[in-house]
Amino acid sequence: MKVELDRVSFAYGGLTVLERFCAQFPSGEVTVLLGPSGCGKTTILNLLAGLLIPREGTLRVGGRSPLEVRVGYIFQDVRLIPWLTVGRNLDLVLPRTIPLTERMQRIQTVLRLMGLEHALGLFPDQLSGGMSRRVGMARAYLFEPDLYLMDESFQGLDPPLKFQLLSNFQQLRSTSPKTTVFVTHDIEEALLLGDEIHLLSPIPARIIHSLRNPVPLKDRIPGNHELARLEGELFSLFRKETIHLGKE
Amino acid sequence: MQSPEGKRSLLPIRILSLLSFLVLWKLGSEWMDSAIILPSPEDTLKETWGLLHASSFYRSLGATLVRGITGFLLSLACGLLVGVLAGKSYVLREFFRPFLTSIQSTPVLAIILLALIWFPTETVPVFVAFLMGFPIITTNVAEGILAVDHRLLEMSRVYRIDRWRRALYVVLPSILPYLVGGASSALGLSWRVVVASEVLSQPLLGIGTGMQEAKLRLETARVFAWTLAALVLSYSTESIFRWIVRRLKRLA
Repeated sequence: MKVELDRVSFAYGGLTVLERFCAQFPSGEVTVLLGPSGCGKTTILNLLAGLLIPREGTLRVGGRSPLEVRVGYIFQDVRLIPWLTVGRNLDLVLPRTIPLTERMQRIQTVLRLMGLEHALGLFPDQLSGGMSRRVGMARAYLFEPDLYLMDESFQGLDPPLKFQLLSNFQQLRSTSPKTTVFVTHDIEEALLLGDEIHLLSPIPARIIHSLRNPVPLKDRIPGNHELARLEGELFSLFRKETIHLGKE
Repeated sequence: MQSPEGKRSLLPIRILSLLSFLVLWKLGSEWMDSAIILPSPEDTLKETWGLLHASSFYRSLGATLVRGITGFLLSLACGLLVGVLAGKSYVLREFFRPFLTSIQSTPVLAIILLALIWFPTETVPVFVAFLMGFPIITTNVAEGILAVDHRLLEMSRVYRIDRWRRALYVVLPSILPYLVGGASSALGLSWRVVVASEVLSQPLLGIGTGMQEAKLRLETARVFAWTLAALVLSYSTESIFRWIVRRLKRLA
C-alpha cells in the first residue's frame, strides 16, 4: 500500500511541527525517516496511525484514510500491558472470531519465529529490553497489518542485539512484505533496514535529502563496504544539514 | 504493616499491646470504682457473653449489617458511575467538585439530623452511609481514571481492541488500586456512621439502638459489649472485602 502525505500541517499548541509536508512512500518497501530528535518523525507516525488529526492536508494509505487501514505500530516504549502475560498481550490483538485454539497456535508460531517460545507465560517486567521489543514486533505481526509503523524500535540496544532484531523483523516481513515506515536518528539502522531513506530537517520538518538504498537486502549486514561508505556520506550530510538548519 | 522479620515476630508485640490495654483498663476501673463510669474488663466480658446468648442480638447485628452493606453498595455503584464520568470529563469533574467537597466537610451529625427529618428511621442509617461513602469512592475512581496510562489507551486504539476489553484489561486494572482504597475507607466509615445514625434514629433493631437503650439504663458494660460487636462487624467485613479483592485479582 502506497502512503501519501499531501501538504500535511500539524502543531502542538503554538509549536508547528509539520508545515505543508509532502511525501510518498512506495508500496511494500521500508521507508526510513531519518532526522534529529524532536524533528517531527513520531508525529508523522502518529498521524499515519490515526492517533493525531492533521490541522490541514491529507494522508492516504493505499488511497484510504489511515483510520480505515490496519496499522501494526511498533512503539519505541513497546507498550505491553504490564499486568497481562506475553500470551495474553498478544491474544488481545487477535479477533475473537478466531477460535481460542487457533489463536494460541498463531501466538506460539510467531513467538517461535522470534525465538521467544519460552516467554508465553511471562509478564512484561520479567522480559529483557530486547525480548520486550521482539514481543512488540510479534504483536504487530499477529495483527496482520496493512502498514507497519516503527518508532525508534531498536534505540538503546547493543549492536549484536540490534542486528538480531533487525533480522527478526526482516524475517517477519519476508512472509508478506508490507509497506513500512521506520523512523530513527540512527544512520546504521536506517541503512540496514531502509529501501528508501529520507533525511528530515529540524521542525517544521521537510525532506532535505532522499536516498535509494543500492545494497540488496541480503547484503545489508554490519561491515558491508557499500553500507559503510553510505553511512559516512549520510553522516556528513546529516551533520551539515541539521547544524546548518539549526542555526537558521 | 509487616515487620522485616515477617508476621510471626509481630504476634508477641500485638499480644503485649492488647495485654497492656487490658491492664490499663482494669487499673482504671479499679481506680474509678464505678461500674457506671468504667466497668471492669471481666464485667464487660460477662455482659458480652450474655449478649451472645440473646437472640435479639443476632437480629440487631443482622439489621445493622444489612443497612451498612446496602449503604456501602449504593455508594460503590454511584461512586463508580460518577467517578468514571468525572475522571473522563474535566467539565463534569469541576461540576461535581463543590458537591463532593461540601458532603465531605459537613459534620456527620448534621447529615444524620437532616436525614431524620427527611426519611423514615429505618432508611436514615442507609442514607447516611451512602452519603458518607459516595464522595470517597467518587474521588478515588476519578483519580484512578486520570491515572490510566494514555500510552496503553493509544496502543489499544491502534490495535482495535474493542471498548469492553479495553475497559476490562486496561482501564479497570489501572483504577482498581484507587477503587479498592476508596471502597475500603468507605466500608470502614459506613459502620461508624450507621451505628451513629441508629443511636439517633432508633430503628427497631440495630447495634446503635442496643447501645442507646443500654446507655439509657446506665448499663455501661452493655454499651461496651455493643461497641465490641460493632468492632468485630467492622473488622470482619473489612477482612471479607480484602479476601474478595484478592480473589478478583487472582481471577483477572
